[in-house]
Amino acid sequence: MIKNFLTFKIFILIIAFCLIQFFSTNSYGVDPEEILQNQKLELRARNISKNIRCMICQNQSIDESSAPLAKDLRILIRNKITEGNSDKEIYKFLTDRYGDFILLKPPFKLSTLALWLLPFVFLLIGIFIVFWHNKKSKKI
Amino acid sequence: MKKQFLIFPSVLFLSILLIFLYLLIIDRNPTELPSTLLNKKVPKFESESLFKEKKFVSSDVFGEKIKLVNFFATWCKPCRDEHSYVKRFSNQEGIEVIGINYKDNSQKTISWLKELGNPYSNIAVDKNGRIAIDWGVYGIPETFVVNSKGIIKYRHVGPITKKIYKKINLIISEIE
Repeated sequence: MIKNFLTFKIFILIIAFCLIQFFSTNSYGVDPEEILQNQKLELRARNISKNIRCMICQNQSIDESSAPLAKDLRILIRNKITEGNSDKEIYKFLTDRYGDFILLKPPFKLSTLALWLLPFVFLLIGIFIVFWHNKKSKKI
Repeated sequence: MKKQFLIFPSVLFLSILLIFLYLLIIDRNPTELPSTLLNKKVPKFESESLFKEKKFVSSDVFGEKIKLVNFFATWCKPCRDEHSYVKRFSNQEGIEVIGINYKDNSQKTISWLKELGNPYSNIAVDKNGRIAIDWGVYGIPETFVVNSKGIIKYRHVGPITKKIYKKINLIISEIE
């Protein structure tokens, strides 16, 4: 009984730990003084920042990064938004200077065709092999 | 029949292995990114000039001669390391070296250049890093080669080493 109770306690602890991990928000690099007063505009800035790669710590978005260049870019995006630039114009401004690499999600272009389509090709090959194998093993 | 079936995955695996081996052997730096500004005109900008009273206006500075544009700061250790090579370029004929002082204290820069020597014919002051963003700079020191028509021909991220010094010279001799 006691042993069962102990395992139950450990089980609850593990579940609690997982839940905390699941519901905890990510840490962000945005400093309080950067945040725009207008919530709508701030939300736009946050959404753009989440898609922009920090060029220094290359697998983080500028929204998460505390690198100085990421901060500069966040401020620049907010300035552009308050000046009335559209999201598209802001993305263009950034890719003109840093290339498509600055986008965390590469665009669907002729040069990125293989990148986007190869996973599906491999999936099809995988399905084909499984079916082929199954068919063969049934015969035996 | 079964043996034939096994050939395909092993060939695929071996070819992937070969690709990885090739990428491992060739001389490449995965963190270095190609500049989108290559073969394009230099970005237009205006700023204070560190030594001159007259403003630094990019359209007045670029053109005519081949220019080497060097983004530097006194707080950046690799900038100190590459300084001897930057000076060598300034001694070469037909090349002018332009400095862009990135997010730095002007007074400190002046004493830094007094100590190490000033290879720059003109220095633009980039107080908030906006000029650097226009050039797609992400990690100083960065060096650009601009031809006599004001078009960017080469970009190097990181300090100039002996190898890079030779490479830049080769590029300069090609565009001359």
